[in-house]
Amino acid sequence: MANTRTAHHPLTAREAGLVGCTVCMRVAPAGTRTCALCGSALSSRDGSSLQRVWAWLIAGLVAYIPANTYPMLITTTLGSESKNTLLGGVIELYHHGSWGVATIVLVASIVIPMTKFLSIAYLAVGIGRPHVASRHSRHILYEVVEFIGRWSMIDVFVVAILSALVQLGSAASVHPGIAAVSFALSVAFTMQAAESFDSRLIWDADGNGNSNA
Amino acid sequence: MTMHDDVPEMEVEPTRRSRLRNVSLIWLVPLIAIVVSLGVAWKSYSDRGTLITITFDDASGITPKDTTIRFHDVVIGTVESVDFTKDLSKVVIGARISKDVAATLTDDAQFWVVRPEVSSRGISGLSTVLSGVYIDSAWDPGKAGTVMDFTGLSSTPLIRPGRKGTRITIRVKDGSLLTAGAPVYFRGVEVGQLDEPKITENGDAATVDAFVNAPADRFLNTASRFWEISGFSVKLGPTGLDLKVGTLGAILTGGVSFDTVVSGGKPVTDSTQSYQLYTDEAAARESVFSASSENAVPMAVVFSESVSGLAAGAPVEYRGLRVGQVTGIGAFLEQTPTRKVVRLRATLAIDPQSLGLAADTSKADTTDFIAHLVDDGMRAKLAATSIFSSGLKIEFADETNPAPASVRTDADGVPVIPSVKSELPDFTATAQGVLKRVSDLPIEEVMQQAVSLMASIQTIASSKGTREAPQAILDLIDEVKGLIAQDDTQAIPGEVRGAIADLRGIVADLKAQGAIDKLAGALSSAQTAAANIAVASDDFPKLMADIRSVAAKANNLKAEELVDAATRVLDNADALIASDGAKSVPPALAGALNEVRAALQDLRAGGAVENTNATLKSARDAADAVAKAARNFPDVSTQLNGVLAQVKSLIASYGDRSQFNTETIGLLRELRQAAESVTRLTREIARKPNSLILGR
Repeated sequence: MANTRTAHHPLTAREAGLVGCTVCMRVAPAGTRTCALCGSALSSRDGSSLQRVWAWLIAGLVAYIPANTYPMLITTTLGSESKNTLLGGVIELYHHGSWGVATIVLVASIVIPMTKFLSIAYLAVGIGRPHVASRHSRHILYEVVEFIGRWSMIDVFVVAILSALVQLGSAASVHPGIAAVSFALSVAFTMQAAESFDSRLIWDADGNGNSNA
Repeated sequence: MTMHDDVPEMEVEPTRRSRLRNVSLIWLVPLIAIVVSLGVAWKSYSDRGTLITITFDDASGITPKDTTIRFHDVVIGTVESVDFTKDLSKVVIGARISKDVAATLTDDAQFWVVRPEVSSRGISGLSTVLSGVYIDSAWDPGKAGTVMDFTGLSSTPLIRPGRKGTRITIRVKDGSLLTAGAPVYFRGVEVGQLDEPKITENGDAATVDAFVNAPADRFLNTASRFWEISGFSVKLGPTGLDLKVGTLGAILTGGVSFDTVVSGGKPVTDSTQSYQLYTDEAAARESVFSASSENAVPMAVVFSESVSGLAAGAPVEYRGLRVGQVTGIGAFLEQTPTRKVVRLRATLAIDPQSLGLAADTSKADTTDFIAHLVDDGMRAKLAATSIFSSGLKIEFADETNPAPASVRTDADGVPVIPSVKSELPDFTATAQGVLKRVSDLPIEEVMQQAVSLMASIQTIASSKGTREAPQAILDLIDEVKGLIAQDDTQAIPGEVRGAIADLRGIVADLKAQGAIDKLAGALSSAQTAAANIAVASDDFPKLMADIRSVAAKANNLKAEELVDAATRVLDNADALIASDGAKSVPPALAGALNEVRAALQDLRAGGAVENTNATLKSARDAADAVAKAARNFPDVSTQLNGVLAQVKSLIASYGDRSQFNTETIGLLRELRQAAESVTRLTREIARKPNSLILGR
């Protein structure tokens, strides 16, 4: 049985009766509380991980609502002030014909954050349950989410750079709106959610399912 | 395997415990996020302002979320939506305005769209070219009303609510000179503005609201008068040419000015006072003396004669003082015992104040007062406003012994003042009489006499005798002078005494020799000359007689020396006749007479007489026409003007000839002087005939 499992996926530390240190990667016998090498607290599985994932995820979602409803950019051109929300800006760009830029903004500020929310939620829900998707594919999903998370900040950077550069007095000026802050927070919270996720739980769920089966 | 089973068993326990321990910490993050988000949402909800709707005719330039609403040029809100009314006839604009401001929004708040505008008053709203239009608003901040739906104005209101000042109404017959926004001046300073002119409900006048800003509105009172300033005014009157040019603004837009010309006005409260607009300042000032007061009493006068020339607004005067005005003229049929006749009825508005009654006298009292005046002989009659105008006025004149009449009330309840036939025909008769007298003047006769006088003068002057007379006399005088100047002649007195004694003897000898005949011939020629002179002058005979006596004496003379002397006299006379001085006298006279003749010819050729005749004839014709047209007054007046023009041209024709007249008079004077000289000479000779011989 063990061989069969080994053939499908690598042996986990827990299955080997060990506990791995997440900081220095040294393994210790199960039951060890402190890492002998770096002194970090050891635990085979982080029991509070799911709680933190859900908490950060909800916080990120909450922050994402004002990020979409409030203006992201406040552009003042010759006395006339225009406020653009994320989606409004995308639609406006699309109407202006710059569908390339519109797509980039749409992907960076709508598609990626939404995908992240859904992905993290999917992963978190899947913990401890038998799953159609394999452990490996879910690990890949997790890696992608963690990697791509920081790129959502591209919007915030754009706003920050624009606000800093376009300050031409009364002729034209750009100010960040509430949405910029909310969006940045939302991205930060979702990154935290991804970070809090203990990916080792994916194995357990699968393993549990298998062992139960 | 057991180990494998035990491990999860061990791990599950602590996981459960740690889950309980960790619950309160990490969940704070989403909690805080939710609280903050809700806080932000609540704040933006509470800050979003009050929704109002404004209905406009069109929404040109208004864009949702972009167009701002301003109050005193401060943004107080933005437009949220632009929709149609249900019937698509108007545009409804939804806007949110700041709550604090909305709390003072009264029901009469005004909203209008500020656009770039170029008008006669200048350029406004230029800033909106770049920033886009905005909705401006004005109200007098107070307790908020319940109304949140407003109707937008199509243009910038000229008189904004909330401004301090007084709103008044100006009534004017013709509002063409008043444009919205035209200035209101007080002593040349702009103190207010006019609103859009409107038509009164019954359409008889135009009214325009005007707003006089504080503090100038304190100069307004019930006695104030308004008049138009149309920019230009050119007036040719008895005081000369009067040209007034207003400010450029007034030229472009017109304007009104006001002044309080009399004291005693009561203060004016806002939106209550109405003023009449006068055409110019003079009329406004005169109106103080002639204005019909508010409680003017309607009265009527019925005329049986033509009222042509009487118009609404014509003055009604009592003893020369204006007491009211004609408000209308109409005709009606009156059934007399024999037939129906058309009568003309003029309605009047009589101002009791002008009659010396109190301003608040009731209508009945005023009517009673008029009735008393009528009982005392006052009657209404038509009168010309001036000799040269065809306009008529109604005059209340005190008649002596008029036909008894009294004020009666007609079917409309209007008191009717009895009228008497006007004196207008008398005026016509007078004009006719004047013209008749002019035509009766014996001008032609005078001219005829003048012509015949001239002709006789001419005859006298042109007669040969007259022409020769002075020459002959001068010849004689010079001859005598030459004779006297001679040494021989000087010696004569002495010699004569001696000689005369011999003369008688000598003469006899001379007779025999024929010398006497010669001398007699010479003397007889002198006699002929004298006779000729006699034709011209009655004074001559005496001279003639003297000359004759001299001749007779000479006839009796008989002396060689005398013969010689006489011969010399004749020679001298010849020489004298040939001399320039002697020759020049008759041509001078002839020249003068020629001029007289020429002048007379001029007079005839120039047609002065015919002209005069023609003029007088036309004057007579006109006078006849005047007599005929006595019942047609305006025609009379026109023709009278024609006659006057003719008379004027007659005077002018005389005037043109004035140079000629002077010349004629000068000539006549010269003639008279010449005649006087001759008379003096003849008198001298008559008085002292001896001087001819004695030289003194």
